[in-house]
Amino acid sequence: MAPVANGRVVVPIEDTATLRATVAHVAAAAADGDVSAIHFVYLASWRDDDPRIDDRRTTAQDLLADAADWARYDLEDADVSENGIEIETALIAEDVYLFGPRQYAERLHTYADEHGIGTVVLDPEYTPVGNTTLLQPMEFELASTPLSVREAPVDRPSRRERLVSEITGPRFATVFGGSLAFYLVLGDPTYPFDLVTGVATALVVAISLSQVSLDHDPTLRESPLRLVRGLIYVPSLLLEILKSNVVVARVILSPSLPIDPTMTRMRVLVGSGLPVTTLANSITLTPGTLTVRARDADLYVHTLIPWAREGLFDGGLERWTRFVFYGREAARLPTPRERDDCAVLQGPDADEPMPFAATDGGPELDTHHESDEDRAPDTAAEAAPTAPGHHEDGDRR
Amino acid sequence: MALGSLDPVTTARVVLILALLAGALFFTFVSMVGVIRLPDVYARAHTASQADTLGAGFGLAAVALTLGWQGASVKTAILLFFIFVTNPTAAHAVARAAFEDGNVPWTEGDERR
Amino acid sequence: MSIADLAIAGGYTVGDVLLVGAAGFVVLALGMLYRAVVGPTMQDRVLAVNVLGTNTVVILALLGAALDEPTFLDIAIVYALLNFLMAIAVSKFTVERGGVL
Repeated sequence: MAPVANGRVVVPIEDTATLRATVAHVAAAAADGDVSAIHFVYLASWRDDDPRIDDRRTTAQDLLADAADWARYDLEDADVSENGIEIETALIAEDVYLFGPRQYAERLHTYADEHGIGTVVLDPEYTPVGNTTLLQPMEFELASTPLSVREAPVDRPSRRERLVSEITGPRFATVFGGSLAFYLVLGDPTYPFDLVTGVATALVVAISLSQVSLDHDPTLRESPLRLVRGLIYVPSLLLEILKSNVVVARVILSPSLPIDPTMTRMRVLVGSGLPVTTLANSITLTPGTLTVRARDADLYVHTLIPWAREGLFDGGLERWTRFVFYGREAARLPTPRERDDCAVLQGPDADEPMPFAATDGGPELDTHHESDEDRAPDTAAEAAPTAPGHHEDGDRR
Repeated sequence: MALGSLDPVTTARVVLILALLAGALFFTFVSMVGVIRLPDVYARAHTASQADTLGAGFGLAAVALTLGWQGASVKTAILLFFIFVTNPTAAHAVARAAFEDGNVPWTEGDERR
Repeated sequence: MSIADLAIAGGYTVGDVLLVGAAGFVVLALGMLYRAVVGPTMQDRVLAVNVLGTNTVVILALLGAALDEPTFLDIAIVYALLNFLMAIAVSKFTVERGGVL
């Protein structure tokens, strides 16, 4: 490994096939005297007040301990006294749900700053929250921080090996089962021809799409529970839709058309992926509110009438979504209004300007808001891509 | 054969079918009025995704009730599920496309478009 | 005998009522067509066509029930999925920069 600025590195880890080799690579660099401090960090994809995350936290801590042990073992093996080399582990980002590569990069940068670290070493298979496309965007985001980034030169398992390991996985089984069931419902389950073609089709679907269609491995304990809670949610959502449809229908059919369309922003407390999609779609399905854009945890919601806006800020759908995905205890939380997580973006009592993305050629506006704890002064917005919490365009994918 | 001479279960079923059909037509009518009357694409997306989804939901429920217990009703349920998942997603995509194009949402006091 | 063939009043069957309902949907679809033609923005048109597609799905399902042709439902499912794909694809590719979804 080329000499590392100030010899201190941070390695974000996750349970991958190449983690062991990455640790060995970093340890070898340390044995050569290129690296004086190794920090292994685990970026949590949960929030610390979610119920039943103890298992995941324990797994993460075990993994961190393993990585540190491996590094010490490798150093001993290379006959280097480990005294001179600092090996630290940390579980970070338990206070928020992480959404995109930008947030991962920000968190890493903050951590590196606090510990005087100048280099990130990435495991080439590092894909937190199972998102296969995260590594490259994350390197891109990290490039806008002063950290230097390098990928550990590790042999990846060949495509074939990975395919085999996927086929046995619960994701593959779920996607295969789901598509086969769908095929057989459309066809005739008792007709052998349909069975054979169904299995073939489901195999093709599962091989090509099982990696992108689910972002977590479904578990036997949690996934059926979510399904059941989802089934409880559906009737109440339907009732909500019906109720507000009647209200909106009256508004639309009244001759004076008493609408007051306003764009609003609401910061929601649900995880990335399926939970936030469910919430955004529920909001859209409920008449009078329409999710226009989801930017990390911020949902930009267009509201048609004040009545719908009040209902949105009461956060009933957010509580339901938390109930479906995290259980009953997680559903008890203050409303977005009480948390001060909502803002009106238009009209006489607008709290914030409209967040048009600068890349769209729209007016250049400051898109930042108070809710970031690491808020920097507005003037730093263009000048300093280094300031945490600032970015040119949060929506580039 | 008049409605009164049927057994009560069938009568209830027929009445429910007619009611669902009426609801479907009503909400689709609301959707149409909204799509024509409302001032901008965001407001139109509201009725397009919501009133119309409910209208389609009622219509498909009437169909399922007419078909009764058979394989085809399962297909109606799947169709219902698809519409409830895809309609808001499509509306979101359309609204987001409008937003990315820099369309400022219409507010009180703007000119009608 | 399916319930669609059941006469309810004046010799008209439930199937007939469903057909009338389908005709009503067609009339409403004509109203939506106004928005698809007039626009003014591309997104307005996509939205209107999406609503028209949903209407078409319901019309297909109603016809399937009224005429006792369950295969119409398969066509309706395919139509619903294509309709969704249309809205996503047009939204995605009409935006110049940035991306939708």
